Formats: sequence, structure tokens, C-alpha cells
Amino acid sequence: MAGNILEARGLRKSFGDLVAVDGVDFHIAEGETYGLLGPNGAGKTTAISMVTGLLEKDSGEVVVAGRSITTSSTDAKAAIGYVPQDIAIYPDLSARENLDFFGRLYGMNGKERSARVGEVLEIIGLADRADDRSEQFSGGMKRRLNIGIGLLHSPRLLMLDEPTVGVDPQSRNAILESVERLSQEGMAVLYTTHYMEEAERLCDRVGIIDHGKILAEGTRAELVALVGQRDRVRMSTNDRTEAAAEALRSHAAVDEVTASDGGLEVLVRGAAAALPRLLELAAGAGVGVTSVEVVEPNLEAVFLHLTGKALRD
Amino acid sequence: MKKVLAIGLVNAKRFVREKANLFFVFVFPILIVLLIGSFFGGGFNPTVGVYAAGEGSLTEGLLSALDGLENIDVRTYSTEAELVDGVQRGAVQGGLVIPVDYDQSLTSGESSQVGFVARPDQTAILLRQTIEAVIQEQGNLVRAARFAAGHTGGSFADSLAVARIVAPASQRVGVTYREAGDDSLTAEFSGLGTFDLGAHQELVLFMFLTSLAGSAALIQTRQLGVARRMLSTPTGTGTILMGETLGRFNVAMVQGLYIVLGTVLLFRVDWGDPLGALALVTAFALVGAAAGILMGAVFSNDSQAGGLGVLIGLGLAAVGGCMVPIEIFPEGMQTIAKFTPHAWAIDGFSEMVRRDGTFVDILPNLAVLAGFAAVLMLLGTWRLHRVLTR
Repeated sequence: MAGNILEARGLRKSFGDLVAVDGVDFHIAEGETYGLLGPNGAGKTTAISMVTGLLEKDSGEVVVAGRSITTSSTDAKAAIGYVPQDIAIYPDLSARENLDFFGRLYGMNGKERSARVGEVLEIIGLADRADDRSEQFSGGMKRRLNIGIGLLHSPRLLMLDEPTVGVDPQSRNAILESVERLSQEGMAVLYTTHYMEEAERLCDRVGIIDHGKILAEGTRAELVALVGQRDRVRMSTNDRTEAAAEALRSHAAVDEVTASDGGLEVLVRGAAAALPRLLELAAGAGVGVTSVEVVEPNLEAVFLHLTGKALRD
Repeated sequence: MKKVLAIGLVNAKRFVREKANLFFVFVFPILIVLLIGSFFGGGFNPTVGVYAAGEGSLTEGLLSALDGLENIDVRTYSTEAELVDGVQRGAVQGGLVIPVDYDQSLTSGESSQVGFVARPDQTAILLRQTIEAVIQEQGNLVRAARFAAGHTGGSFADSLAVARIVAPASQRVGVTYREAGDDSLTAEFSGLGTFDLGAHQELVLFMFLTSLAGSAALIQTRQLGVARRMLSTPTGTGTILMGETLGRFNVAMVQGLYIVLGTVLLFRVDWGDPLGALALVTAFALVGAAAGILMGAVFSNDSQAGGLGVLIGLGLAAVGGCMVPIEIFPEGMQTIAKFTPHAWAIDGFSEMVRRDGTFVDILPNLAVLAGFAAVLMLLGTWRLHRVLTR
């Protein structure tokens, strides 16, 4: 395995009595995409702000590309491309001017900067609007420019803080595709989100964070294993759900059956194999099943398992 | 240094794109210098309105004598009502009503009453004294002519003509006017041109006000999240602050030089030793820029900074001698004024313009202004780092 581009150890930050981040540890390997998945207020932005050297830590250490990073350090920041959650651009400057300005702050020189600004404008799809003031852009275009600034200096580690919040589906998909492409090109990515499907799609490893603590960490498969390989089968019934529930519990692969208005939720090991028999049992109990949905275990289920609440609560 | 220039350049670019800024930086100050110079500078002449109800050589003589006064302008009215209206509206500072029988009364040896209309202010009192002196002089001529006519048997008209001819050669008793108080101070101010004092004061006032108003740019940069994002690049807080300060400094400097050159060309204002004037403008631009940046780091929204900025800017300007010359302050206030950069800047110009000082003579002023700038910059850096990283 390649070396680590980022190591965060024992990060802790309080705002008065509120402990926003409470002893967070994680690392990201070169070329790896790591996701911090958690609901709003879980401590994702506070954690990424400390990792970027934007926020003073109460305690802990962050090492990026072998250099310790603090709010005062500048060298280590050259390896980072940071994309904040809120759009941070000058609205009265054009896309090109915004990119050129940040290019100067990243220490890029004349021709190199000019060429790279052109490349990034192509990447984010704003080449034809390069000289328009960014205040005239749509929300999605501003988001893309916001990301483009983070890519300017071809960083070794790109940090994106909830980049798809408030974005239309089309722009959201474009952003996710960009991140996938950058990841394939070998750029390490730290991606925070509260969308389970984004974490599943993009990340090699995911840290599940809540109340300032990382509750579990690993690949998708490793995390899903925490709740066991049980599928969730949702059946819509026309009547007699209690009788059906009783019949389904008799199946050896079924772990749990929950009856609700108009349906049943069944936790079952190997739904694909067990499903025909489950339908027979339901029919045998005199219950008409109108629809069936099989949900394989996912990070949502993991979060529910770890915290007792849904990710979007 | 390149990053400082980059931040400064972006600031200047954004400033120029806001059209209202250009008005307040370039047009407004010159207008104010013009207004202050016109109203309070040495070149202001009061105007007296005159309504002559009748005709005659004595009436004409009185009008001619008033016209001949160096420091008073005369405007004639065709009715008494118009004259009174003109006084009430401030079009003229006093009004003289010469009665219809003025010539006839004086020629026949009778008394005549000339009316004077004015608002109850200091200018009117001085104007009345001057007009009374002119009337008194004509009265003396009339009395002399009447005396001569009575003793020689000649006509009053001939005697009056002779009296007019010999009057300028007659011995007179004069009164020498001297202002009470500090003679050297009076001498200092007496050499100033119409716009000089006002221009020096307005330069300092506007450079500082513009710089404080510039704090809004830093607040906006913070609100937009750009300042924080800058900190995520390999750029330290000190560099960000120096860049932002450079942006404000550029604006203050351009405004300062524009006011200096503009007032020299338009109003022939004397700014003293050019090198000294340049150094003072530069040092004060640094102070203003640093003060603006400190405000930008302290306040979190531009309306808060705008309101307080104007209050602080005008307050310091008043205490620092931008509205009334500091020399006429009570002693205690003069000491307090030394705690404002304005007083040191204005004193620098006074040293060069009123006391014929040179660049060397204003070195203490420049040192104090540099000290102000350094302290404000340090405070601003500390505060900005704090607000961005906590």
C-alpha cells in the first residue's frame, strides 16, 4: 500500500461547552478517496477545517505530505486543494480572474498559471463563460468554479466539504463524475457528505462520524459486515399482515419481521434464495402480496445500526 | 511579496469597479474643498444691497463711494421690498435704503436718515460699521461745503465740488487695527491662500474616511469566505493582511495625490516642500489603510463598520483639527489632539506651508505617523488571525 498523504491523530475541538470534534483519528493513503459520512452537525466541517489548517485545534496533530499542519503553517498547505462547503469566490470578478487570483496565492507563475487556468476552465465546463462575472452564474456554475479553485495547483490531496449541498441533480452528477475522474487519475480525496449514496459511490473507505466521534471506519464491505449480511425485504400486503408475519417467522433464514400498516419488513439472510419460499408462506397464510422490494445492506443501515437513528434525522 | 501584490491588485480592481467609490474618492473631496474655501477662505467678500429711492449727485456719490470699497461688493435693487427679501434670503449680507429726498435734504441743510437692513449676525455688524464710515465721510464733505458756501457766498454745488477735490489731501486721523492674542499665530494664518487651510484639512479628513470605508472590502472578503479560503492556500495571515492593506493604501494614496494635484491646479493651493508633502501623504495613507484593516478585522458586517467608521472618522477629524484649526483649541484639547494621526499630519503641512519648514522639519511627524501605522497593523494582524482561525 502507498504511504499516507494525510494522518490525523486525536483531533479535538470545543466551542464553549459544545464538543464539536472529540478525539478523531483517520488517515488517507496516496490516491485514496476517503469519505467522512455523518448527519448535519456531526463534526465533519470542524474536522476538515482543522485538517486544512483553517481552524485551531484544542489538541491533536495533522500531518499532510509529511509536514505538520497548523493555522500558521504554509508549506504543507501547498499539497492541499480545499473546496469549502459555502461558495467562496469574488462575485464581482470573472471566473478567469477568480482562478488567476487563487493561482497566484498558490505560487503559480505567469505562463504556468495562465495555461492551468485554461485547463481548469475546461475541466469545470466554464471555458465559454470564462470572462463573465461570476455573480451572473447559476448556483451550479458557481459550485463548479468553487471546485475548480481547489484543483488549480493539481494538489496531492483534494478536500471537498459537502460539495453537492443545494445543487441540482445534473450539476451534482457532474461534480461526482469529476471527483471520480480525479480519483482515477491518482489524486487523494477527502470527501465529507451526509449523502450515503455519494459516500458509497465515491469512497474507497468511509469514516462514519456522529457527535464528533468516528464510530466506525473501513471499506463499504467492512462496514456492512458490522450489521451482518442481512437483506431487508419490504412486502406490501392487502390484508392479514399479522398472520403473514407469523408465517414468515417460521423460515430459518428470517431473523426479524415487523408488521406495519399495509406491509411487512423482513430482515433475512440471503434474500435472493429465500424469497420464493417467503412468498409461498405468505400465500399459505391467506395474504395477498402486491409488491416486493429487496434492499441489500448499505451504509444507511450501518449508521442506523451504530446510532439507532437514520442518517437524515 | 507577489502574493501581497496579488491581493492588493484584486482589491484595487474590485474598488474601481464600484462606480460610487469613484465619486467619493475623486469628485466629492474637490467639491468640499471648493465649498469650504469659498465660504471660509480669505477670499470671501460680503455683498451689500442698495436701494436708492431718489436721484442726485449726493446719492450717486454715496453709491460710488460704496463701489470703491475693496472688500465689499455692491448690488443694486429697484425696490425696497426686493432689497429686504434679498437680505432675508442671504443673497446680500446687508441692505442700504437711500431715501427719496436724500439729495434735497442735505443740499438744503437738513438732516437725512439712511436705512440699514441686516440679519443679526457678526458680518452685518462689521458691514454696518463700514457703511457708516462711508456715510460719515460724505457728511463731512457736505458740512465742509455748507461752511464754505456760507462764508464765501458761493453756491453749495461749487463748494461741494471744491470739497471733493481737496478732501483726499486733507489730514486725517487713522486707526490701526491689530488682533489681540498670539501675534505669531496671526502672522502664520495671514499668509494662507483662500483654499490652503481647507485643502490641508480636507485631504486628511477624506483620506482617513475613505480608508475606514474601505474596511467594508475586508469584511466582505471575510463574509464571502474568500479570506478563509486564502488561508487554506500557502498564504499566511500576515500576507493576507498586508495585501488587503496594500489595496486600501493604493486607494488612499491615489486619492491623496489626486487632491494635492487637483487643488494645486484648480485653486493654486500651497502644499509646501513637494518631497515633504509626498512623504506626509504616504505616511498618512499607511495610517488610514491600517486603521481600515483593523476595523475590517474587528467588525463582522459592513453596515456596522460603515456607521461607526463615519463616526470615528469624523470624531477623530474634529479632535485632530480637520474642522477648526488646532491652534485655536484650548490647551487641553491641543494635548488630546496629539493622540490622533490627523493632528500630526495637519501639523506637518502647517510646518511646511505656514512656517516654511522642509522635509527635515517634518521628520518627527512622519515618525509618529509611521508608529500609528505599525501599531494598527499589528493589532489588525492579530485580530484577523483570531477571527479566521477560531
